[in-house]
Amino acid sequence: MSRSFIKFLCALLLPVWVDAALAQPLEEEDLAMAYGDKATVSIATGARQDLRRAPAVATVITVADIKAMGATDLDEVMETVPGVHVTRTANQYFSSYGFRGINGIPTNPQVLVLQNGVQVNDLYRGDKGEAWSDLPLENIARIEIIRGPGSALYGADAFAGVINIITKTAADTPGTEFGVRGGSFNTRNAWVQHGGKLGDVDVAAYLRVGSTDGHKEIIRSDAASKLDKLFGTHASLAPGPLNTGYDAVDAGLDLGYGKWRLRAGYKLRDNLGTGVGVSYALDPVGKEKSERINADVSWSDAQFARNWGLGFSGSYLQYSEDVTTFNIYPPGTRFPTGVFPNGMIGSPGRWQRQVRASGYATYSGFAGHSLRFGLGHEDLNLYDVRTMKNFLLNAAGTPVPNPVSGVLIDYSGIQPHLVPHRRFNNYVYVQDEWNFARDWTLTAGLRNDHFSDFGSTANPRLALVWDASLDLTAKLLYGRAFRAPSFAEQYTINPTANGNSALKPESIRTLEAAFSWQARKDAQINLSFFRYDMKDTIRAMPNAVAGTGSTFANTGKQNGRGAELELVWDLSRTVRFSGSYSNQKTIDEATNTDAGYAPHHHVYARADWRFAGNWLLSPQLNWVAERKRAVGDTRPAVPDYTSADLTLRAERGKGQWSFAASIRNLFNATAREPTLYAAAVPGRPDIPTSLIPYDLPLPGRSFYLQAAYSL
Amino acid sequence: MMKQSTANWPGVTMWQDVTAVWLHVKACRVNIWGTALCGLLGLMVVAAATALPPGRGIAVIYPDIGEPYRSVFAKIIEGIEEQTRSRVPSFAIGASPNLQEIAGELSRQDIRVVIALGRNGLKFTAGLDRNIGVVAGGVLSIPETEARNISVHSLAPEPGLLFARLNAFMPGARRVFVVYDPNQNAWLMRLAKEAARARGLELVSFEASDLKTALRFYQDILASADPRTDALWLPQDSTTVDEGAVLPLVLQETWTRNLAFFSSNVAHVRRGALFSLYPDNAEIGRQLANSALGYIASNGQGPRGVFPLKAVLLAVNVRTAGHLGVNLADKQNFDLVFPGR
Repeated sequence: MSRSFIKFLCALLLPVWVDAALAQPLEEEDLAMAYGDKATVSIATGARQDLRRAPAVATVITVADIKAMGATDLDEVMETVPGVHVTRTANQYFSSYGFRGINGIPTNPQVLVLQNGVQVNDLYRGDKGEAWSDLPLENIARIEIIRGPGSALYGADAFAGVINIITKTAADTPGTEFGVRGGSFNTRNAWVQHGGKLGDVDVAAYLRVGSTDGHKEIIRSDAASKLDKLFGTHASLAPGPLNTGYDAVDAGLDLGYGKWRLRAGYKLRDNLGTGVGVSYALDPVGKEKSERINADVSWSDAQFARNWGLGFSGSYLQYSEDVTTFNIYPPGTRFPTGVFPNGMIGSPGRWQRQVRASGYATYSGFAGHSLRFGLGHEDLNLYDVRTMKNFLLNAAGTPVPNPVSGVLIDYSGIQPHLVPHRRFNNYVYVQDEWNFARDWTLTAGLRNDHFSDFGSTANPRLALVWDASLDLTAKLLYGRAFRAPSFAEQYTINPTANGNSALKPESIRTLEAAFSWQARKDAQINLSFFRYDMKDTIRAMPNAVAGTGSTFANTGKQNGRGAELELVWDLSRTVRFSGSYSNQKTIDEATNTDAGYAPHHHVYARADWRFAGNWLLSPQLNWVAERKRAVGDTRPAVPDYTSADLTLRAERGKGQWSFAASIRNLFNATAREPTLYAAAVPGRPDIPTSLIPYDLPLPGRSFYLQAAYSL
Repeated sequence: MMKQSTANWPGVTMWQDVTAVWLHVKACRVNIWGTALCGLLGLMVVAAATALPPGRGIAVIYPDIGEPYRSVFAKIIEGIEEQTRSRVPSFAIGASPNLQEIAGELSRQDIRVVIALGRNGLKFTAGLDRNIGVVAGGVLSIPETEARNISVHSLAPEPGLLFARLNAFMPGARRVFVVYDPNQNAWLMRLAKEAARARGLELVSFEASDLKTALRFYQDILASADPRTDALWLPQDSTTVDEGAVLPLVLQETWTRNLAFFSSNVAHVRRGALFSLYPDNAEIGRQLANSALGYIASNGQGPRGVFPLKAVLLAVNVRTAGHLGVNLADKQNFDLVFPGR
């Protein structure tokens, strides 16, 4: 394998020497003098940029980046972002974006995901929704990722980071494009997108339909294996394959008229597999369906009056998660309370609605100051819950089988898995960018949120920016942020982790120092250091009375520190190298040991080589290292891994076909993501400490081909 | 009247069809690919509603070039089609184009004027039938003798627009320095002198036919310019604006001396120039289309010569502006802002 990687590194560098021999076509000289170098021209030919700037440590992923990395899903993009590692959870093989060692156990509610500035996070778990599965990228114009706190502008959950996904407008996708993509795991996708004008209205529309059987790596031992060992049964389906397939429909409509913009979207995920299984027991038949319907309308005028800008927006999101059947444990599973001859079965469902309205004003009438004011209202309503199952939970949380095993009973009225809840929030914020001396700017912001259930929280942000020289900018940033308790943490009914309506938000204070250095005319280096303190971290804690289960509580404290180094280097006119090294160390203050799970070291490197006019070859590699186990977990450390991908692309214009071919995990590296460890519960031998002892395998080598035609 | 009703009809149909697709998606529980077909139908209706009819009389010839510059020509062609309200036949010219084949196609489609984009597009038109008019775009300049018979829309920003923007950022500006190669930019400097005078500015220009001479001029300018009243302009000039020697010197010295410099090359804003005006490709397309339509309407009697770029967008470096103490009160109106974040 090491030889393979040496060859691969050679492949990364080969384009530099090859390219040196190639002359630039004369045609490009004129264009380069008008539009700039290739790094600038793709920006200059894109759509108008959002100028809402706040000093932060940020990464912007463009369409060109997405194409070069061969990414087809948001997860693949996120893994390339410095300070971010995408891990997996056993349920639905959900992708969790860990920012700077903040992993969010088991998902990532500490990361705010926005689409065109509108919140995507759901109310149940506070993450992007358990049936998320994927987000295709054909219709994405740009992805902005902020590492660090953002609550002073964005409010709840902008805690460890913010991801803003910007979809294409009519200007970004002129004409009509049809595309198909297929590959390993019986993956099939087709899409069409169009941008044009209907009278004075700019119209962009997008539709994607896809399906995959998903990768079927083998799980050697699962939670049912543990029960088998305890009770001498043979119910477990392990070793057995993962269940990660799904069907997908994505649609979007974007209408622009003057200062108005209307967007609508639809996302369907059907027949979504359960990953390892919702209770960490292999479930080859469990399926879930989710539907997300969203719409937003906005109006903005940057020059509403002299020195004044004004804007407002309203948004609506309807999201449902509807499980056909979960085989929570396989047939024959025995618990201390009895046997499930037909398996432990559940069919939960949840329906939620989020309505938001906001407005802002900017004022630049005071010399040296740029002010921004904003306010908004949110109505967050998880209004319906269904709990069909063939068991009830006893006081300790142990399932008690129904008398007739195979029959599901609607327990929504007796023992729902969650109590419906509605939350309102009113907020107001102010931010001032003060240019107080030559080359010095201080940005100060404060936002106050008042939630109807857990009260008020005020979060400040300070950023001092010094343009130290022509080539060097230094930033010192401080911010406080919060994560609102999810509805699951407040209102779950399950003695193994009961909800607690008295929860406060988690909070974090972060200090960052960032340097941006134009080392050469063709090389940019960014370096950032951070440290943070988290408190009131929400965790399920054993109740005071033994044998009565656990309840969520604000109990944890965690601190972390680390650094990220990024390099973008245009080695020649046609070769670009980009890469990053990220380092973090996170301490759980309850035990004063490493918080575990997240990699201490992460390296990403990519070379983009344009040749023969329209061709692009992009090799990339990803090294993930030193992921420690949580305290008390005696399993060997999670092995490091290095994976490599290769993408070859031929981009052609209208009336012609464009092609792309990708090999992911080129050398078939064994890559695993750590599974959760929980301390043993006294008197509950049926609850194992590590439910999936051999961790979660990532896909081996896979191949994808794509063809797209533009009209 | 007829036009009005046909314009409305597809929109209504589109909405009905989108609704139909939506209802189908809602109802579709199993066959996801059936949904795809319905959705495709819906989008085809959207595409049909916004599609353009085939046009007559105008064609585009452009260089077959890789990204990211390919997108530049694509945008220009979009602008042309938007202005002509028709689908304009376009021909990408590779390394060895088949002149006869394309000429035959132009004749078959009764093309009366060709919009030639880029150097290669323009070069190709030299071999065409003289009865076909030529409007050129996507080039910086061509020898003035060659421009006598055709209309060339240059990518060089109109100096008057650059000076107007300089005045807005720096009301105290009185002099603008520029070093240029007369072989490349004599035509532009003639326009620049007049434009400067009209704005109450003095254009102090230096001719340099080689890099060494240019560097000496830059050193003199940077040593003597007064940051309160003077500014430096870097034009699109491959002799006097060398990326390896001139630009680093200008960047460093203007930063150190707090001297404003602006450029006709948008990439320089990324490096530290205060501002640049760069091409608005769709608008260029519209202007080229107007010129071509004018040629047809006037039976080939349209204006001739080289015209500077008026379809411009504004790129600003806010970091440099802060360093120079330039007040950017209306920064929401910028099209491109550096640095990114």
